[in-house]
Amino acid sequence: MFVLLHHLQRLRHELRSSVPRGRGSLALRHVDAGSCNGCEHELTATANPFYDLQQHGLAIVASPRHADVLLVTGAVTTRMVHALQASYQAMPEPRLVAALGDCALGCNLLAHHDQLTAPLEDLLPIDLRIPGCPPTPATIATALTAALHQPWARR
Amino acid sequence: MSATRRSTTPPRGRTDVTIVEARSWRSACLHAREDGERFEGLFATGSPHGTPHLRAVFSSPGREQIIECEPPERAVETIVDAIPAAAWDEREAGDLHGLRFIGHDPLRPLVDHDASLEEWTVPVIGADTYQVAVGPVHAGVIESGHFRFHVVGEKILHLDVRLFYKRRGLEAAAVGRSLADGIAYAQRACAACAVTNTVAYAQACEAALGLEPDRELRRIRTLLLELERVYNHLHDLSMICAGVGFAPGTMAYAALKERAQRLNERLTGHRFLFGTVHVGASHVAVADRDRLELRAELAEIRDEHATTWRQLQFVASLQNRLAGVGVLEREDAERLGAVGPAARASGVRRDARSNSPHLCYPDFRTAVPPAETGDVAARMSQRAVELDQSFALLDELAQQPLRAGSTRPAADAAGFSIGRVESPRGQTICVIERDGARLRALHLRTGSYTNWPVLAHAVPGNLLPDFPLINKSFELCYACVDR
Repeated sequence: MFVLLHHLQRLRHELRSSVPRGRGSLALRHVDAGSCNGCEHELTATANPFYDLQQHGLAIVASPRHADVLLVTGAVTTRMVHALQASYQAMPEPRLVAALGDCALGCNLLAHHDQLTAPLEDLLPIDLRIPGCPPTPATIATALTAALHQPWARR
Repeated sequence: MSATRRSTTPPRGRTDVTIVEARSWRSACLHAREDGERFEGLFATGSPHGTPHLRAVFSSPGREQIIECEPPERAVETIVDAIPAAAWDEREAGDLHGLRFIGHDPLRPLVDHDASLEEWTVPVIGADTYQVAVGPVHAGVIESGHFRFHVVGEKILHLDVRLFYKRRGLEAAAVGRSLADGIAYAQRACAACAVTNTVAYAQACEAALGLEPDRELRRIRTLLLELERVYNHLHDLSMICAGVGFAPGTMAYAALKERAQRLNERLTGHRFLFGTVHVGASHVAVADRDRLELRAELAEIRDEHATTWRQLQFVASLQNRLAGVGVLEREDAERLGAVGPAARASGVRRDARSNSPHLCYPDFRTAVPPAETGDVAARMSQRAVELDQSFALLDELAQQPLRAGSTRPAADAAGFSIGRVESPRGQTICVIERDGARLRALHLRTGSYTNWPVLAHAVPGNLLPDFPLINKSFELCYACVDR
């Protein structure tokens, strides 16, 4: 295990993250409103040693009650709309909503109209748009660290 | 770490369609099974108003058969008592097409989320038993799904899984599209299985059109499938470490997965290999210079995996959590039709790659784990063994030029066809029905769909805090089940 820890330390040292440094912190909560699992993979990847978003004050928290930002992935399905809105309602104010990926942004949707509700934009106020199918971890990292600089506590 | 066994199955033949009366449905299915054919899925197609077509897929190494009936009363006898693997399929057909399966009682709703709790869950029995409900939103970055545990203290007595929160109606939306455009719907079903699902779709369309892939197309698709397996298995090893809370292991494998995905991007322009598979041809080619880079990078990832894996063997806090947890007995794996690394870890020597005439797996040997104990430890070791196998396969493929491929006419066209591919999670089948050049029906039954009920079976008897670990050791997709 010590070899492994040493190896990881060296890796972190060598990688010298390309993600710009932010200030402060934002607690993130993710809700999958009907994705293909691509956005989840890439969001998880932002924690790997190449991006290491926790170092920048950006951590995924377990409950919406602890979160500043709601990260929404996927086209909003009829079966997830209730859980999505309940998660948003559970968040303390001020709160941000980030649409993560093209589906959440309503682009190039592939689905049967019976199964989707209104686009995310009509359900919740979107503050942060992170495009891509799926957005790469680098795109996600850049967008989230940039959010640290925004006067986001306006509502 | 590389124990393998030789397979000696002959290549697959044509698809036979057997049309039966509704009253003979059950006996036809049971006959197929008695003849040694394996159940691979059951589904209904048709509009909600007309009479649905009910179909079951069976296959043996030399033959593949679709049994079809049109039940005028929307009812047939169940096969679930004889073939438990059909349980979710019958429940889904019941929900989506109003079909009744006489003898499958209660036929609990699966896809239908309007059903009351009493209808879709097993009743809680016993004075001290209580329920723990989890999801659809989970604590980590996890897909949406709902689990309902019956527990006494920390011990799990029963698990009901409710998925389909992410149902996007992709199969219905694909109907009426051209065969070429329909592939987008198969790809969108799941990012982590995008290559598997699109190759299965393309194979189904090509078989229906009477086309056969040339050597180049078979090689390039095999390359893409193995690249998909490599990043998925690296991800799964990372996630099993996360399930134990062993961060160094999680991060070491997460870094390797990142390297594998960056390699995907350099080779094909996409980290999940999206847009690399088309019906009838492949435009992906790997330049000779890139082939050298591919081999060098994969060799480095392979060596780092070997080092990391060796290190993990000495971490007691990890190893002590793996053995004897989430055991799937071999008989249960066989009975429930389990597939993929989970089935092989329980001693079921089955891998669709050993019988893939439309891909490039000469002399494929099914990988077996060091011990076929069917627990989390075995499923983890199985991933490690299969990674080595995939690195070797990829290196062999990359030793010769990898050029764009195409297809040639080889057989009669058909209205109905099946594609079959081994995904990182197990065998996936894609069935298409065509009306000229357009899709009349699309059905995707992925390895995850097959294994979710198997996972639910492996959980009772374990502790509730071990569920995330057991879940990670199967690492099934929600998206390609929900579709």
